[in-house]
Order: sequence, then structure tokens, then C-alpha cells
Amino acid sequence: MQHNENFLFNNFAVKNIATKIKKMEDKGENIEMNTSSARRAYTLRNNVARQVAVNFMPSRQIAHNTLRMRRVNSEHNALLDALTDAPDAVEQQADIIVREMEQHQLLMEDNPMSEELRREALRDLPQCMTMKRNVRAKLSASVSLRSKRRPISFFKRLKYRVSFAWKRTRDKFRDFIFSIELWYEAIRNIEGHLGSAVGSYFHLLRWLFGLNLLLSALLISFVVVPQALHDQAGNSTNELGVLDFISGRGGLEHTLLFYGHYHDSEIDTPGPVHYYMPFAYFYTMLCLYLMFFAVLCYRTAYSYRRNFIEPSGGHSAFSHLLAAKLFCGWDFGIASPAGAALAAHALYLEFKELLNERNRNQMATSVWVRAWQRMANVLVTMLVLAIIVGIQYGLWLLLAVEELTDNREIYISLAITAVVGVCPMLLSFIVKLEYYEARTAFYVTLARTWLLDIGTLVILLVYWSRSGDECWETRVGQEGYRLVILDVLVSLLLIPSVEFVRGMLFKWSVLGKAPAFDITYNSLTLIYNQSVLWLGMLFSPLLVVAVTLKFLLLFYVKRESALRMCQTSKKVWRAAQTQTVLYMLVTLSLFTTLFAVGSLFLRSSSQTCGPFRRYEHVFAIVSEGLLRLSERDALRAVLHFFVRPGPIAFVLLGLCVGVYIMRARSAAQRSMAGILRQMLRLQAKDKDFLLSAIEKVSNGEWLYSPKPEDYGADSHTWKYLNEVRKPSNAGFHFDGSRLSHSFLERPKSYVKETRPTSYHTERPKSHEDGDTDSSFSWQGSSSYLNQKDDAEEKR
Amino acid sequence: MGQGKSQFTEEELQDYEDLTYFTKKEVLYAHQKFKALAPEKVGHNKNAKLPMAKVLQYPELRVNPFRDRICKVFSSSNDGDCTFEDFLDMMSVFSENAPKAVKAEHAFRIFDFDGDDMIGVSDLREVIERLCGSELKLSDSEIQQLVQSVLEEADLDDDGALSFAEFEHIIDKSSDFCHSFRIRL
Repeated sequence: MQHNENFLFNNFAVKNIATKIKKMEDKGENIEMNTSSARRAYTLRNNVARQVAVNFMPSRQIAHNTLRMRRVNSEHNALLDALTDAPDAVEQQADIIVREMEQHQLLMEDNPMSEELRREALRDLPQCMTMKRNVRAKLSASVSLRSKRRPISFFKRLKYRVSFAWKRTRDKFRDFIFSIELWYEAIRNIEGHLGSAVGSYFHLLRWLFGLNLLLSALLISFVVVPQALHDQAGNSTNELGVLDFISGRGGLEHTLLFYGHYHDSEIDTPGPVHYYMPFAYFYTMLCLYLMFFAVLCYRTAYSYRRNFIEPSGGHSAFSHLLAAKLFCGWDFGIASPAGAALAAHALYLEFKELLNERNRNQMATSVWVRAWQRMANVLVTMLVLAIIVGIQYGLWLLLAVEELTDNREIYISLAITAVVGVCPMLLSFIVKLEYYEARTAFYVTLARTWLLDIGTLVILLVYWSRSGDECWETRVGQEGYRLVILDVLVSLLLIPSVEFVRGMLFKWSVLGKAPAFDITYNSLTLIYNQSVLWLGMLFSPLLVVAVTLKFLLLFYVKRESALRMCQTSKKVWRAAQTQTVLYMLVTLSLFTTLFAVGSLFLRSSSQTCGPFRRYEHVFAIVSEGLLRLSERDALRAVLHFFVRPGPIAFVLLGLCVGVYIMRARSAAQRSMAGILRQMLRLQAKDKDFLLSAIEKVSNGEWLYSPKPEDYGADSHTWKYLNEVRKPSNAGFHFDGSRLSHSFLERPKSYVKETRPTSYHTERPKSHEDGDTDSSFSWQGSSSYLNQKDDAEEKR
Repeated sequence: MGQGKSQFTEEELQDYEDLTYFTKKEVLYAHQKFKALAPEKVGHNKNAKLPMAKVLQYPELRVNPFRDRICKVFSSSNDGDCTFEDFLDMMSVFSENAPKAVKAEHAFRIFDFDGDDMIGVSDLREVIERLCGSELKLSDSEIQQLVQSVLEEADLDDDGALSFAEFEHIIDKSSDFCHSFRIRL
């Protein structure tokens, strides 16, 4: 961050000045020549010398800076041509770039490492390919010229070889990934029609599908297959009813599908290999959960950093909302004319809306209105929370009702599915009653829906674990199975058919507006499914396979319905941040599940079914099975010490302190960024000012001596010279220049007063009267220059 | 993809792989796409120069409001006509693996219509007009207001135009740039 600011700082000030001066001149002296070619010719003639000077300024010498593209059609290049008069401009430019790269010792060494670095630097060079080739040839010539063939040590050679092999494997892997990349054309097609926001839903779907595929492969090979082998020994067949297939009870209950069926000791294997099923079950699950938790955390944190923290750096007052809309608004992936027209329309609306907002902001809302808005938000939030709690309480009561018939599980699952399907719509309607910005409203809806989903799942888990059922784990597994199966009906049949009907209505022009692809709702469905999976996987290993298959089908169904029935949404969708939030929700679901299941496992384990029936509680498999704590007193004592409240409180306290320090640092950095930004502004002005001063001097205008009778006692300059700059007032200057804060935080109006001649603050005016008042202005600014010099001396 | 008799030797592919953000397979795939624009010409000479009108047949470019600028920026002869290498350059910059800095550099050139190394008021107006499409037009005062707001936000040194550094700053702060400034092969 800081580096970034610094870089900007260096890069920027000088960069502008040349162009700026050109502009000023154009405005001031060259009004009659206003065609761009004439302008350019003029600029060229006069500015070559200054451009050269600017190019030699220290900030221009930073290699990274100068490696930037020399714009082929801009003055830079014209300048180069003018300077060298060479017929072959490409050759010359290549030379310059090579010279700049040669400054880097690291790049120019004659070993594979820096060769790799060179390759990367070349690739990052924003130039066309011919130029890159040219530069590369020159570079390698230069490298071989200066290389001092030293023998490489064995260790180094090994290092190079390893790093090369690694790189080659990575390239191969990327090549391989590209050739097997799933649904590449399909997603590209969707993005071309509906924009990359809808594409992000399909990316999420594909990602979850890949994840689940991996999960199923691992689970099947480590847990299901051994159990199946074991089952072959003692053959038993069950009868299957149709309803069993939905409810997961009856004939399906004692199958590979559910926890209760798994064996609680060694699997009989031919040969000397032992396969202890409880260990296999527990550690496979543990590894998978932790592994995916780590992957998800990493991915979420990475995307959070990129999409939330990095863009928000600096002061909130300096948000680049509109500028970003302008330059990042067009989705370059759009390929269909209809999509493009819609996107243009959406941008048009967005601009209108932003303008309206800007105008509205100027009319300050009264305190009472704002208080009312806050109140409304709080009230509605409370209401929504009450509804969610109410729904869950109702669910609890429903679960406790015993009188229902045999299929009461199916009814309950149906009820849950209905609630989960309807509530997001309800919640997204409710949020319209509140006074949020569109983005906040979206996040609020997401959070509420997620809360509802995960709350429901946790309630189910808690209910079954307390039900006193002989094998409550299997019940939870069945519940997960039912939810997944019933959700198939909803998301594979019901929603697509609704979309189909809406699309047809639109085509027959019954409906006024085309249905948009509802990214929120669809993504939430995915997240809900994944949450069910996180919870159910532990108690029903084959659930993963079901969900994977479902996602596979879902992709094709959604693709068809998106391409045929939907249109781009009328809103410009900020995909990157939304995607981050979705990943965050998946991670949070997993975290909640891990937490809930972990705390249950510490307490209990069914004594009559499942692989852990021999243990008092499930974690005993670690403490007894692996560590044998009952035999090792010392280890037990150490572990007992660490899980006592004292050490845990200590760790927590440490974490809190760490968080606090980090927060303080980030606050400090933020304010630093603000200060730097202010300084940047001033520096740019100073440099600009100095450069024009130099120019004036070189034109001989400095000889123009101030005439005291020119200004009366009420002129600013007079006041400035006689009052502010009186020796008795020197302390003022001292402070003003020494303490950057006071200098920086000077209100803008003051700047205007003391610098009546600045080209920027008074730009419109000077533009109008041309150079007529330059003599006056020049005196004023010369005294400003003196003041600056004073400040320098005092320093 | 790109199996069968390829028009490229192994060395050429390696060369392209070194100079762009593509793997060999992707280079071949890109060439297929390029060939699809003018099958006969490219089949004859794999690095044939296609006129701008032909290059703009590429679906993503066809509907892009900045299509002519894109072609001009990437064309090595500066007139919008592209050889395969220019096309590969273009796709490489627009690909997912290209770093933000490289994308920003090219985006800046695309948005800098008058080529004065600054995005000035006229450039901003042009961008806004092109973004809103041909059917809907913002009024002149609205555009003026938008331009003014953009400059207020992003013109750090108050010179009435965005320099590259200022532009890069906007890009750095926008999470969506890499998402939107991307054309899949």
C-alpha cells in the first residue's frame, strides 16, 4: 500500500508537468493553431529541450517507470524521432528499453534464474511482439557480452534444475488444465450473452462441482469401498419402496448411504493388511473437512483482500465510484449485440442514477428524516430476526409432534424446503421497506437468508442429537438426504419451469419486461445445497455423490434456461465483490457446521450404531485410539493443562491484542495515505510552478522588476509582502513550512488567497484573459517563490 | 484443440509462449480463432495481415464500443489492421493471466482518443458517449456534469485531465477492472 502510494508519488508529478506545460502554452499563446496536428508540431519544436530535461529528472530514472510503453503515436515517440532522426524508430526504442533494463543487476546475470526474470520482465513489457523480440535479442547479446563465466556450484545447479523442473511442470499443468477445462465454451457463451456477472454464478457452480467431485472421489475410495468390500462377505438384501427412496428410511436405512451402517472394527482383508474402519472414517472426514476449510479460507481471504481491502485503501472521501464506472463499466466479454445493447442501456441508467444521487446529496436530508430511516432499518431488522427465530421455533415444535403418520419426515422436509425456497423472495421484498443503498440491501438480504438456512440446519442437528433416538447420526444423515432430494425437485424442475413460463409470457408479449437471471437467488440455492452437504456428509458419505450429480445436471438446466429465457439484468452488477461475499458464505457455513458437529462429538456418540459405537464419545478415538491417554499420564496432564480455561483465555487475550495492534496500524496507514495524497497534490503544483518559473527565467522575464506603485494598499500582493512576510511574522512561515500538517490542512480558500496567480486555482480566469495580467501575476508568484526559498533555508 | 498438422513449429510456439501469457495450446486455439476470421487468407499465410473490418468480426470486438480504438492500439502498423501476432498480443493482454499493470497500460491507450498521453475532457466525453450506446443519449449538460464529477474524484493534481498515474490509481482501487477488462479466448 505504502509502496504503491510512493510509486504514484514519484511517477506522477513529473509525468504530468511536461504535458501540462504544453497545454498551458497551447492555451496561452497558440490559440490560433487549434488543430491537433498543428499543435503537435508546435509542441515538438519547442518542447524537445524541456522534455529531455524532464526525462532526466530523478523520478524519471526509475527503471520500472521508464519501462512503460512509449506511446507510439504520442509526443514521446515523436520526440524520440526528433532527437535521433533515425529512420528506424523501433530499433531506437528497443535500445532505450534495453538500456533501462540493463540498470538492473538482477536481470542481467547469466544464470537461469535471471533468465527467467528477464523472460517475465519481457512478457510484462507493454509493447508489441516485434518490439519484445527485438529487445530480447539485444538483451541476450548484452548478457553474453558481460557474463563472466563462473563455474556454478553443485548446490546452485541443483536449485536451478529444481526450479526449472517446477516451472515446466507448472506450464504443463496449465496446458493440461486448459485442455480439460470443463464447460469452457459454455460459460464463455453465457458470458457473451448475459455478461460476466451471470458468468460468475456459473463459475461458482463449476467450482463447487469440482470441489464435490474431488470430495466424492476421496470419500468413496477411503470409506465407501472398504465398507462395500466388507459387506460382500455377509450378504444381505433389503426391499426398497418408492417412498423409501425419498425418505431414506426403510430399505435404505441400512445401506452404505448412512452412518449407522458403517462397521466398527477391522475390515477383513486377505493378507496381512489391516483396515480399521473407525480410524478410516474419522480421519478421512477430519482431513477432508480441515483441508477444504483451509482451501476455502485461503480463497475467501485472498479474494477479500483483492476486492475489499485493496480498493478501499486511503480516505473514503476519495472514492473513485464514478471514475471506476466509466473505465471499468463495460464488460469486454459481452459478445452478442442484444447483450451489448442491454449493457449500454444499463450503463445509461446507472449514469442517470449517479447524477440524480449527486444532485440529491446536495439537498441535505434533515436529522429527523435520517433518524426515521435508522429507526425503520432497526425495526425491520428486528422484525426479520423475530420471523427467523419464529420459523425455527415452529420447526422445533413440528419436529416434536409425534402424531403424524409414517411419512412425517417427508412432510417436515417438504416444509423446510418450501420455507427455504420462499423466504429469500420474501426477504428481498422486505428489504425494500428499508432505507439501504442498493449494495447494502443486497448484502443484508444475503446475510438474512443465510442466517435462516444455517439456523434451520443447526436446529435439525440439535433436535436429532437430543431426540434420544438410538442412532441419531443416521437420522441427521437421512434429513440431509431428504433435503437434497427434495431440493432437486425445486431447483431442477420447479424454478426452471417458472422461468420457462415467464420467458414464454415475455415472448408472447404478455409480460412487459423480460425476466432477468436472478443471480442472488440462484447463488443462494447453491450455498444452501453446499451447507446441507457440509452438514450431511459426515453422517451420509454418499450424499456428496448425490450433490455432485445434482450440480452436474443443474449446470445444463441453468445454462439452457439462462440462454433461452433470460436477459441481462438492468442493473450494473459488481461481480467481483459479490463473488467474494458468496465464497465467504460458503466458508461460514462450513465453519458453523464444524463448530456444531465438533461440540456434539465431544459429548456423545451413539452406542448401538455407527463406526464409533465402541467409544464413549467420538473424540475418544483420538484420545484413546491414537494417543492412548489412559496409559500415558504425563501426556494427559499436559493436554489437560492446555484445555483449562486459563491458557485458553490467555490465547484469546493474545489474539485480541494482536487484532487491536493490526487495527491501529491500518488506521495509521490510512491516515498516512491521506497525508501523502495531499502532499502529492501540493508537490505536483510546486513542480509545475517551478518549471514554469524556470521557463520564465530562461525567457528573460525574470528581469522584469516589480514596480511598487503598481499595487495599492488593498491588493493581496501588497498585503502579503508587507504584513505576512514582515520579519516579526517569520514564525508563521517557519511553522507553515516546517510542519507539513498545518501546511497541508490549510483550507483551500486560503491557498487561493495567497496564490492568486496559480495556474490551477485560477485556471478558468487565466484562460479567458490570456497573458494580459501576467506581469502582475508574476510578481505575486515570485514572492511566493522567495517564500519557498526561505522555507528551504530554514530547513 | 489444434491437433493435426499445425502451422507452427515447436520453436515458434515456444517463442509465443515466452512472449505472451498463453500456453502453447492456447496459442494454437487463438490461431484457430484468428483463422476463422478469414480462413483462406490465414490458411495461406499464418501471419497474414487482416484489415480492421475483418478483425472486428470477432464476436467480442464486434459489439465493443471501443472496437476501433482497440484495433488501433494493438495494430503494429497503427492503422487498425492486425496480423496474427497483433491479435495474439491483444488476446494476451485481455486474458485472465495478464497482470493489472499491463491491462491498465493498454486500457489507458484505448481511452486516450486524441493520443496526447492524458485522458482529457474530450476523451472523457467520448468515453461516456460511447458507453451509453447509439440509441440513448445523455444531454450535453449531463455529460458535462459527469465529466466534472469524474475529474473531481480522480484528478489528484487538479490539472483538468487524467494522467496515466491517476488512471492507474483508479484501476488499482477498482476491484472490477480485471473482471471487466477481459476477453476469453
